Amino acid sequence: MTLAAILVSVISLVVGALLALLMIPVLVWLERRGAGLVQDRLGPNRTNVFGFRFGGVVQSFADVVKLVLKEEYYPAHIARHRWLLMLAPMITFSAALLAFMVIPFADNIVIDGESLRMQPLPVDYGVLWYMAIGAIGVVGIFLGGWLSHNKYSLLGSSRAGSMMVSYELPLGLSIIAFVLTYDTIDFNAMVTWQSGTVLGFLPAWGMVVQPLGALILIVALFAETNRNPFSVSEGESEIVAGYMTEYTAMKFAMYFMGEYVAMNSASAVIITMVFGGYQLPWVSTETLLAHFNYFAWAIMLVIPAIVYLVIRWMRKNNRVRPTVISDGSREFEAKVLSWAMIGMTVVVEAILLYLSFSPDAVLGTAIAVTLLQIVVFVVKLMLFNLFFILVRWTLPRFRYDQVQRVGWYYLLPLSLVNLFITAIIVVGVN
Amino acid sequence: MDNKVKVVPRYGSSFKDRLYLPAIYQGMKITFKHLVGNAADSNAVDTLEYPEEQPTDITDRYRGLHRLTHRQDDTIACVACFMCATACPADCIFIEATEREDGEDEKMPKRFAIDTLECVFCGYCVEACPCDAIRMDTGIFSLTGNSREDFVLEKDQLLAHKGAFGEEKSRARK
Repeated sequence: MTLAAILVSVISLVVGALLALLMIPVLVWLERRGAGLVQDRLGPNRTNVFGFRFGGVVQSFADVVKLVLKEEYYPAHIARHRWLLMLAPMITFSAALLAFMVIPFADNIVIDGESLRMQPLPVDYGVLWYMAIGAIGVVGIFLGGWLSHNKYSLLGSSRAGSMMVSYELPLGLSIIAFVLTYDTIDFNAMVTWQSGTVLGFLPAWGMVVQPLGALILIVALFAETNRNPFSVSEGESEIVAGYMTEYTAMKFAMYFMGEYVAMNSASAVIITMVFGGYQLPWVSTETLLAHFNYFAWAIMLVIPAIVYLVIRWMRKNNRVRPTVISDGSREFEAKVLSWAMIGMTVVVEAILLYLSFSPDAVLGTAIAVTLLQIVVFVVKLMLFNLFFILVRWTLPRFRYDQVQRVGWYYLLPLSLVNLFITAIIVVGVN
Repeated sequence: MDNKVKVVPRYGSSFKDRLYLPAIYQGMKITFKHLVGNAADSNAVDTLEYPEEQPTDITDRYRGLHRLTHRQDDTIACVACFMCATACPADCIFIEATEREDGEDEKMPKRFAIDTLECVFCGYCVEACPCDAIRMDTGIFSLTGNSREDFVLEKDQLLAHKGAFGEEKSRARK
């Protein structure tokens, strides 16, 4: 292995871990603020570190501190094997985390003629890995619910288990249809396939090529992550908190965070398979590399506009109603953040300017393209996470029998039909 | 009888309803509108940002913190008749009576204390008072302190509270 290969694998591992783990507080915050804004409230926006609120993200870290310091409660019947009770949320959490590790967040970077994967786990069977590891999460849920010696917990976990069985089938069948279409089980190759166009003008995203399969995939992944409207396994109106009823403090937090990591992984899989992954629409990696100076100029124009809008939005909203009171600390925060953003913009502009006027900087261009793709990936990931959150605050929870009916009566036959049609077309075209 | 029966159409059986997706789309449109609109201008959200913004809708019937009223000559209106302490369902009013020396009346409280941690803010003391000497019209809705003793309001504090609605003196006493 060359130095470049080691560096790239370390960096992609770090970026992948950060994307998965750092997303937890952001998502928890986004969920709570999003819920607030949807319901015409503000949501948590008070917690701060030295006056810096960052819109309230600090609240998530305060929550973690609270959960760590909380009393560790164990049910009385768990006298000897407490580690089993702790193992259960760990399984769920690590399964969700590992499932994220095969998602490519940029195209293979070519350094000195060596093509290196920008994937925390550089494997070319990502789809199989995701389906294998992603399904293990429910084992932790089932273990926890069973160990709790609590009827609500057992009900919740058995609901989760049966829902997993009924939705793993349509999920797998729709993924097989995608595998047939893309002719690969490598996530990165799937994204590369999607960077072309269909019918001459539409980006060849899975959403366009396989609309029905994409729909089934999204619905099944909503069910897999136990998110609304399929959150019957923790339906608090019927079974208290489902499998989490007996869990407190950090053990609960592991389940809680595992849910968000799973949601993040599901979003990543959906955008990778259906929404073109890290690619900009219509733009393949080759185009980006070949004509990077044009893209650099376009980005140089777009970034200041975005930063200007963000700063204006921040100055307008990071304060109490100006007719009521002027809040010095929040104005100071807005000022500091504005200058930080302007500084970063200047640095990025300078780098892009240098790259656009030096055609020989192949390595620099490759790294810049990779960074651009990571940014695109993160933006898409956040948008789809926002979609997850918006769905949660829009739809009521399905009844348990309705969930099963949707899974077995509608999604399974539909995915079979979809697979059948896809197979016929693929065989016919070839 | 028949002409009074109103047949309510039952929804949910048409293909469009059973497809569920159009309904999801409509719902998402509404929530998305709220999300984006409120994120674009969070100060337009109709909530009270409490410590900075104070409520402006406290009416004169609001039962806030208690106060003891004054007579026209600014002496205490209370005659220590123990009516309020008797009426109090929470037993949180503590009165010690003493003789009144200035000839206005016979009795006055030496100590008049309300334990606001016990108080249920029912207003029975105000209704029981024959002299209009205790009122809950201060409009004060929050009381903070560092110890339990801080919440036992003594006579001086209760006399110092101002009425929020313009009536400072006892109407029953000259």
